[in-house]
Amino acid sequence: MAHAIDPAPPFEDPVLQQRYVDLIHELRCLKCQGETIADTPALFAQDIRRQVREMVAAGRTDDEIRDFMVERYGEVILLRPRFSARNAWLWLAPGVFLAVGVIVGWRIVSQRRQLLDQDDTPVDDDGVRPA
Amino acid sequence: MIRINRFWLPLAGFLLLAVVFAIALKRAPNNSLANLPSVLIGKPAPEFTLPAVGDRDTQVSISQFRGNWTLLNVWATWCVECRVEHPLLLDLQREGKVTIVGLNYKDQDELALEWLRQLGNPYAANAADPEGRAAIDYGVYAAPETFLIDPQGVIRRKRIGALTREVWEKEFAPLIGGAS
Repeated sequence: MAHAIDPAPPFEDPVLQQRYVDLIHELRCLKCQGETIADTPALFAQDIRRQVREMVAAGRTDDEIRDFMVERYGEVILLRPRFSARNAWLWLAPGVFLAVGVIVGWRIVSQRRQLLDQDDTPVDDDGVRPA
Repeated sequence: MIRINRFWLPLAGFLLLAVVFAIALKRAPNNSLANLPSVLIGKPAPEFTLPAVGDRDTQVSISQFRGNWTLLNVWATWCVECRVEHPLLLDLQREGKVTIVGLNYKDQDELALEWLRQLGNPYAANAADPEGRAAIDYGVYAAPETFLIDPQGVIRRKRIGALTREVWEKEFAPLIGGAS
């Protein structure tokens, strides 16, 4: 299946081949949108695969290749968005929500515990308060 | 007092989210990725030097057109939408406000020349990019795509998909009018 989509021969060096495979799995096919450029025979994906292949062969680093793509196509080409000032709130929001939830929950529990400590209504043998 | 605050808090949260979603929905591109602003807008048009379509001895580069408002049109004979926008390009060429340069994308010269013979040639020059290499520098992922380049060689506007009269009048023409 992979061969049908990407007819290019693999790198002789398995390290380079792995980098190539990893990179093409993290770039979005803008023409097909839901797929990586590794998953589609679309013309666009063919061209970008060739570009990645040539840059890997030329000794460029993964980050240089990602930057090359982002400069031309924008962040949208990265399937895993980068952390930046613009989207920091998206990355941080879940943590903030979780922290707020824990604090609120803790306060509710501790308040109830205090109420319970102050409550001297006797309980029966089953631990039930008389109404 | 505290009770009232507690009661309103979830509602306020809900309204805040509703406003955020409403803004996001309004701003969301209606044609998904196609309407995202290009990262190239405001940047110098990437230089290319390619053989002219049908004349491999002549070189076409985008910097040749510095000094004019230039429309760089990425097209191909296999591209259906290109046929749709072709009459508009002919009109724009006649109106003479922009110089139209073609980037013939992943195509064959013979087919391209035949197309121009049949449908008319709005292009001041046509660069052949059979491997789509120059197109990558322009962030092209489909044809047609059209870039408006100002006389200083800076990309000012980009259209993905067929250019229409409406889009031209609304998004392209005002830039030319305002600056010259």
